[in-house]
Amino acid sequence: MIKRSFIGLTAPRLKCDLVEPGPREPEMIPMPPRLILMLDEALDSTKETCIRKGDTAKKGERLFLYKESTRYVTAPTSGTITLIAPFTGDFGKNATYLVLEKDDKDEWVEGISEFADVPDLASADGVLRTLPGAPPLELLAAPNSSIKKIVISGMDSDLMSTTRQYLTSKCMDDVKNGIELLKNMTGITDVFMAIPEKMSQLSAFQGMNTIKLTEDYIGTLPQMIMKNHLGITPVAGTTCEDQGVCFMSIEAALSLARAYKDKAPVFDKVITVIGKDGGVKRVRAVIGTPIHRILSQLGLETQEMDRIIIGGPLKGFSAYTLYHPVQPDMDTIIIQDSEQIPGVSDYPCINCGKCVRICPAGVPVNLLVRYLEANLYQEAVDSFDLDACIDCGLCSYVCTARIPIFQYIKLGKHEQLMLEAEMEAEMETEAENA
Amino acid sequence: MHKQNKFTVSHAPFWHDGDSIGETNKNIMVAALPAIVFGIIQFGMAALGVICLAISSAMAWEALFQFISKRSIKIGDYNAAVIGMITGMMLPATVPWWVVIIGTLVSVVLGQQVFGGIGANPFNPAVIGIAVLSLSWGNYFDFDAALLNYQFDFTALVPLGALDHQGPAAVDLFSTQGLLMGNQVGAIGSVFGLGLIIGGIYLIIRGYIRWEISVAYIAGIVITAALFQMSNPEAYAGPMFHLFTGYTLLAVFFLAPESSSSPVNLVPMLIYGIMGGVMTILIRNIGAYADGTLYAILIINLINPVIDMIRPKALGKGVNNA
Repeated sequence: MIKRSFIGLTAPRLKCDLVEPGPREPEMIPMPPRLILMLDEALDSTKETCIRKGDTAKKGERLFLYKESTRYVTAPTSGTITLIAPFTGDFGKNATYLVLEKDDKDEWVEGISEFADVPDLASADGVLRTLPGAPPLELLAAPNSSIKKIVISGMDSDLMSTTRQYLTSKCMDDVKNGIELLKNMTGITDVFMAIPEKMSQLSAFQGMNTIKLTEDYIGTLPQMIMKNHLGITPVAGTTCEDQGVCFMSIEAALSLARAYKDKAPVFDKVITVIGKDGGVKRVRAVIGTPIHRILSQLGLETQEMDRIIIGGPLKGFSAYTLYHPVQPDMDTIIIQDSEQIPGVSDYPCINCGKCVRICPAGVPVNLLVRYLEANLYQEAVDSFDLDACIDCGLCSYVCTARIPIFQYIKLGKHEQLMLEAEMEAEMETEAENA
Repeated sequence: MHKQNKFTVSHAPFWHDGDSIGETNKNIMVAALPAIVFGIIQFGMAALGVICLAISSAMAWEALFQFISKRSIKIGDYNAAVIGMITGMMLPATVPWWVVIIGTLVSVVLGQQVFGGIGANPFNPAVIGIAVLSLSWGNYFDFDAALLNYQFDFTALVPLGALDHQGPAAVDLFSTQGLLMGNQVGAIGSVFGLGLIIGGIYLIIRGYIRWEISVAYIAGIVITAALFQMSNPEAYAGPMFHLFTGYTLLAVFFLAPESSSSPVNLVPMLIYGIMGGVMTILIRNIGAYADGTLYAILIINLINPVIDMIRPKALGKGVNNA
């Protein structure tokens, strides 16, 4: 944990970790007997699912929850579904998990290589959505897609993570193939490669559109990359995608390249694992592997009340079970010792202004948090720039009163979306009645 | 599935810079130490008694009020201790015990708790306490009378009082260096200019107060006093005299930058500070009070919410979508 420095005259600048020189190959985690697959769709007890307990799945088979579902998860091996259960995430987000017990056949589903005949977005979106790195194929393939620029991020999205940097330094040829492939598939020529400025083999990216990033955390945020390097000022209340810029992890580009080379989906994901002592290890695990498999193989122990951080210290989330599976977008696992966990408090804002000084988006956090605490979400958007927040988490990191500001902000955005959806629905019914 | 550990689950971020309200308040108390220790050396054990009583009674009032209002008792964060300490610093060493206790009652309860406690006070709580005391029992704030029985080896007059009565001729009684080194009559924590400056610089470097406010306040004092002096050197004292007398330095580093009652954006901080300095000198030179600092602070506290609306546009606000 980075503590406040003695001199506090200016706002602290947090630096991203850089990949160590001469990184070792990731340790292979053997495929466990049971895989846990997450489906981003809520389980509805009133409807009949089209996959059932006891069904068999083949490797590469897409599993849909309901007949009309558009979301799917790809089975990384052949086996039997032994459990279908609901999973609850942040802010009431519901998902479903399937337990796939592998058989030893490892049998591919028929016609799996068809997508690779002609690289185009629609067929790729049909099969490759759950590739490691979670390529945003759904977004790119959408008929009304307004994406004009793609940024492939070789810099990690949070402080301690080095997965993407590792892949950037190790797999340069595949990255180039991936970028060519993306250009062919999407017809978008503006593909940028965001790489750390201090990378040793910077010259390998010559001739490509590169965006060189310093270690400064704020500079690695997508909105800041857009503003500083692409000359597009982010508009409050819209995402980067709305403004035509699609951010993609480097692993997504690599997996696409590998999938088209092998003419089959790939399932192994590189993950940086950081233990309580700060030791960095990298593993290669199949999507769906429960994280306790990784921890036990690395000899990392967890105790009661520790925290399992997935993602990173500023923007990640905490898992409540070691059976949490490896997911396509999971770059980092951090074990935080229970004694290292900073508490939050129920203090009100004391107006010290540290959040206002550190906020890269210029949000008046000191005022905003008062409205959020009082559940006044519309006012928070209208007058206090809730929609301009770019989710960096720095306000909570510096808060003297230790208010969970970032959580309030996320909740506020979530509630605001629900309110808007409600209002739209009301207007629609009114229009119908009229 | 084997028995699982229970993990701590919470929302990001999972790191914190380690700062806390208690830590901030402890640093403010450390910063005030040079001035207080000097006050105790200058005015004797009576000063120590006032400071200790002020701190302890302030904490007791806070605990009592939080108990009565059924809030959780949080005297461990030193919030009341800081309010009590600053209230005590603004009192003369010879003040009766009950004045101290009433002062901290007003500071902590009327100044802060009735508004909702820490973070909710629109005015600096300690200033509210001292303003009420000085209006109600003004004779105890006549520092000349209060410290009559002391033997000092310097001009035993309150500089600002002397200025009020004798005009700028009084300025010659005090050297700037002497004022800086505490050779003046006044409140326990306000006489040792150098100590307050050291404490203030410490707080600024550590980032516990906003330097913009302090610098702007000093600028306000210096510019306004200099303008007055230039217009009529016969009638008005110079900026250095104003800067090192009365509650000025206490206001610059401890009263004006109190976090809840001061702005956080750059331009408002500058306006707030300069206004404080200007008002202090205006009250001293034109108004009825010899030391206008208390009322200057209350006035800038009053305008704080309005001026703090002046803020830069947030990212992506007010840009054309085209």
